[in-house]
Formats: sequence, C-alpha cells, structure tokens
Amino acid sequence: METTLLSLAHGFVIAFQPDNLWYAFLGCLVGTLVGVLPGIGPLSGISILLPVTFGLNATQAVIMLAGIYYGSQYGGSTTSILMRIPGEASSVMTCIDGNAMARNGRAGAALCIAAVGSWVAGTFGVLVLTVVAPPLATIALKFGPPEYTALLVLGLIFLAYMSSTSLVRTLLMACIGLLLGMIGIDNMTGHFRYAFDLPELGDGIGIVPVAVGLFGLGEILATPSHKVSGEVIKPKLRELLPNRQEWREATWPMARGTVLGFIIGIIPGSAHIISSFLSYALERRVSKHPERFGNGAIAGVAGPEAANNSASTGAFVPMLALGIPTGPITAVLIGALMMHGVNAGPQLVTEHPDVFWGFVASMYVGNLMLLALNLPLVGLFVSVLRIPYAYLYPLIIMFCIVGVYEVSHSIVDVWIMLIMGIVGYVLRKFSFDPAPLVLGLVIAPLFEQSLRQSLIMSNGNYLIFVSRPISAGLLIVCLILLGLSVLAFMLKRRDWRTQLAEAEAAETQ
Amino acid sequence: MTLRADHAAGSAFVAFGALVIALSSDLPTGQLSMPGAGFLPKIVATLTIVFGLMLILRAGESAPFVSLGWSDGKHAVMVCLITAVAIFLYTQLGFIITMGAMIVTLLVIIERRNPLYAAGYSAGIVLLTYLCFETVLKTPLPEAPFRF
Repeated sequence: METTLLSLAHGFVIAFQPDNLWYAFLGCLVGTLVGVLPGIGPLSGISILLPVTFGLNATQAVIMLAGIYYGSQYGGSTTSILMRIPGEASSVMTCIDGNAMARNGRAGAALCIAAVGSWVAGTFGVLVLTVVAPPLATIALKFGPPEYTALLVLGLIFLAYMSSTSLVRTLLMACIGLLLGMIGIDNMTGHFRYAFDLPELGDGIGIVPVAVGLFGLGEILATPSHKVSGEVIKPKLRELLPNRQEWREATWPMARGTVLGFIIGIIPGSAHIISSFLSYALERRVSKHPERFGNGAIAGVAGPEAANNSASTGAFVPMLALGIPTGPITAVLIGALMMHGVNAGPQLVTEHPDVFWGFVASMYVGNLMLLALNLPLVGLFVSVLRIPYAYLYPLIIMFCIVGVYEVSHSIVDVWIMLIMGIVGYVLRKFSFDPAPLVLGLVIAPLFEQSLRQSLIMSNGNYLIFVSRPISAGLLIVCLILLGLSVLAFMLKRRDWRTQLAEAEAAETQ
Repeated sequence: MTLRADHAAGSAFVAFGALVIALSSDLPTGQLSMPGAGFLPKIVATLTIVFGLMLILRAGESAPFVSLGWSDGKHAVMVCLITAVAIFLYTQLGFIITMGAMIVTLLVIIERRNPLYAAGYSAGIVLLTYLCFETVLKTPLPEAPFRF
C-alpha cells in the first residue's frame, strides 16, 4: 500500500506538470463537447482526434484521450436533460427523468446532480483503479497463451450475454469483427490473407477507420437533419443548486450507481450503457415511490449518471492491468498507446510507471476539472446545442475524413471508413449492434496468436485449456453464461436485456 | 411465406461466410499441432454460416422485410455520394478545396441552405481547421498541386 501511495504521489507530480494539466483540460473540454453533441460519441471523438496526439508523448496522449472518454460521459447528460436526446448512448436513461425534471422547472438541479454524481463516481472509480490495477497486473504476469485465449473467449461470451440484442446477433457481429481482424499478413507464417494485392491491407484493417465509419459516419447516414429536434430548455444559473430534499434523495442512488457501475465496467461489453440501465432499474425497484420514475425522479438521474461514469473508469482496470480491451473505446486507447511505443498490459506498471501513474493521477484532476467545467459553462453548452444539426454534420464528416487519413496518411483507410459507414447504416436498419464487431476486430490478432500458441504448446491437444486452473475456471464461467442465455431463450423470459433494448428503441425513435 | 428482415440478414451472413471460405482455399489450414494461416479464418467463417442459419431459422420473430423504414435512404445515398467524391479528390485537390466544396455541396444540395451562407460557413470552418492543424497541432494536411 505504501508503494502504491508513493507511486501515486509520483503520478501527481507528473499530472501537475503544466503540459499534462493542459492536455487533461483539453481532453475534458473536447470530451464534454463530444458528449453534448448528438451524433458524435466518445468512440468517434477519440478516433478522430487520435492523429492529433502524434506530436505528444505517450503520457500526454493517453491523458488527453481518456479525458475525452470520461468527459463525454459528463457531457452526454446535458443533451439528455435539456433536449431529451441522448448526446451519448449511455445517457439514454437520463433522458427519461432528467428531461421530465427540466420540464418541471428543475433543469439546473438535474444538471447539478448529474455532474456531482459523475464526479463522485469518477473519483471513486479512480480510487479503486489505483488499488486494484497494480496487484491484478502482477497476477496477470502468470498468464500464458491458454489463459489469454480463455479470457478473450470469456470476453466475447460476456459481451454476447450482456448485449441488449440477441446472443446470435452479437456473436455474428463478433465473428465478422474477427474475420476483419484477420486481414493482412499472418504474423506466424507470413501468408497474405484477403489483401487483394493492396499493399495498404498488408498491416490489416485499422480500428480507427472501422470505428469512425460504423459509429461516426453510420450515425450521420441514419440521421437526416429534419429528425433532430432543436428545442433546448435553458436553465437559469441561480437554479443550478438542488434543494436539501433533492440532495437527500440523490445520495444513495449515487452511491449504489457508483459501486454497480464500477463492477460492470470491468466486464467486457458496452459497460457504460448497460450500467446506466441497470442502475435505473435498481433505483426504481428499491424506491418507495416507483410511480415518480418517468415523471422527474431525481434518483433516475443520480443513479444512471453515477453508474456510467464509474463504468467508464472501471473499464480501465482490464485495459491497464491485462492489456485487454473491454470495449471499442478502450481498444482505441490501447491502439493509441501502441502507436507511442507503449504496450498496455501487466508490464505497463513496471516498464512505464510514468505513463501508468501519471494517467491515474490525471484522472483525479480531470474529474475535478469536469465538475468545474460542467456547471458554470452550461450556458456555453446550451449555445452549442443550438447550432442546427444541418450545419453540424458536414463538419463531423470533414473531421471523420481528416481524422482517419491522418492516422497513416492512407486514402485506402478513408475508403474503408466510407464502406464501414454504409455497413453501419445497414446494420442499424437490421437491428445489429456494431460494438461487438469492433471488439472482435481488436482482439482478433491477440486471440489468434494465443490460440495457435496454445495448440503448438500442447502438440495439438485441446485439453490444455481445461488442464490449467485459470483457463479452466474462465471457460466454466463461459459455459455458465451460455447456459443462462439458453435458459432465458427457452423460457422466453423478458429480462433486463429485453427492457434495455426497448428503452434504447424508444429513445432513438 | 412473408420475407422477414432476419431472412435477408441471415442469408447475407451465410453468403459472406461461404465467400470467406472460398477465398481461404489457398490458405494452409495446417494441423492441430501446427495451425496454419487458414485455420482460424475457416473456423470463424463456419461459425458465421452457422449463426446466419440460426438467424434465418428464428426469423419469424423479426419484422417483415417490407416494413423496414428506408425513409432516410435518400439522405444516406446523397451523403455517401458527396463524401465519396470528396474522398476521391482529397489527395489530388488538397484539404481546403475538397473539404470546402464538400461542405457547401452538403449544405446546398441536401439541406437546401442559402448558397451564400453555406459558402461563408464552409470557408470559415475549413480555414480555421486548416490553421489549427498546420500551426497549433503541427499536423500537415494534404495540399493542392499548387500548394493551396
């Protein structure tokens, strides 16, 4: 513990360097704007701004990009409360009671509770991350190829189990992602796979063109400007503070959302989206007045907002300690670190302590910055929301093109982005969630390598996965999850995932 | 029988899986003790076919294909076409000309905005972005043959 505190103190020295403070501020500001603006989520925001970090060192880059990620969770609530449009997917649940509060004249109180809840959850998440990630990294050093294979399979199964769409649909998307991830030179044999004589495909398909295409351009294609409402409720500054009753009603939901969100954040999948839904469902269940939910219950804002922020911090635990992405956003962050010559994973704490501890400490600072940014600058964000969407989306398309091109100065990547945009649009039409596709693309190289190494190690004996305790344990969890899914299907049970799908569908209509 | 959305989606995935297997014919599968470059792609493509078939079998739960809303299709096609032209010209005409023209075209043709306002907005945004990338971020953007 003493070593952790000393390392954290060293991290604060790095985080308080003027340059690092500036990049944390910039990340938080851009993240808040990304969260506020409908049609551009944290994934496309981070992907588009990835090339901007090339001139920075690894610490500055990850501080700024992570700031965009958790900043967007803060910003998403503003659009949800003031416009009833989720600025970011995880803010879907905040729309319901946040907007109802705004219509009852309590927009300021809803924004304040959302910001404070996000801050409490974000800070709690970083505290646990500080304590948990280093020992977890030490354990992860004992992992070999079979353990990594089992862990990645578990990640995919967990994602399928937690997804609001069906198990088959999620696994289909993951398969397509895995196949896309196998394009290019095979690292173990040197064979060219599906490159169609295009040298640009030799290194495979990048995460950025796929993510920006599916989530950035795909969203724009599916959203004609006449479908975006321009009505914004403007809160008065003096109404920003909640009254004593509202504080009392928000305290426990915030606490429950924080813990729930962090636990779900560690699990692979779109954790920040799922956590906010589960928190909302939990608060409605434990409330003495469930009938208030949907009509402006403050617990319906405090819980989900705390949960989605806590989940976004929780997602950093497997990313930093194991080098495994729990979702497309952490995957892009791992890619960003790799571009700066730093591999996320068990060796990160020992080999790059400045990056690890500087990043962790910057998150404490970043959460404070966000609290300071979100409340006083709410007027500015309201003004941004008043820019007509018709003028906004051409700008986003421009940043998509520039962002993708600048990653490797390859126009082929930009064409891939356009194709992925069309694919994303069609997938939306057929109710497929593109997130597992990106996750499959990211884990494909690691999964293939660890699977093939495991088989070589065991001379082709599949029993290697069940003869080692850690991988056997992970595979047992996979079987349990698959069993639960099959059971739910056979009983035609309408569980929380069905409800999540319905809530998402209702808010996007 | 009513054609459902999942009939179409499942068939597309089955066809995609079959295409991947066909394209993998020249990749060595290897043996279990030494898997080759085609080992995992063939397994995953087979799984894609299996999941595609499962989707078709359960298609009764999905919406009829004709009920899928394509009202935004025209918007999507127009945006795609304009973006494709911009991508094609991006490295040849440079950032300023291509992006400026793309934003004006999107605003005037799709959004029916006043061409003068659209041109002013486009010029301001593109020049600001160009200056930001070139001077603040030190990230060069593609230039036109006559360095504009």
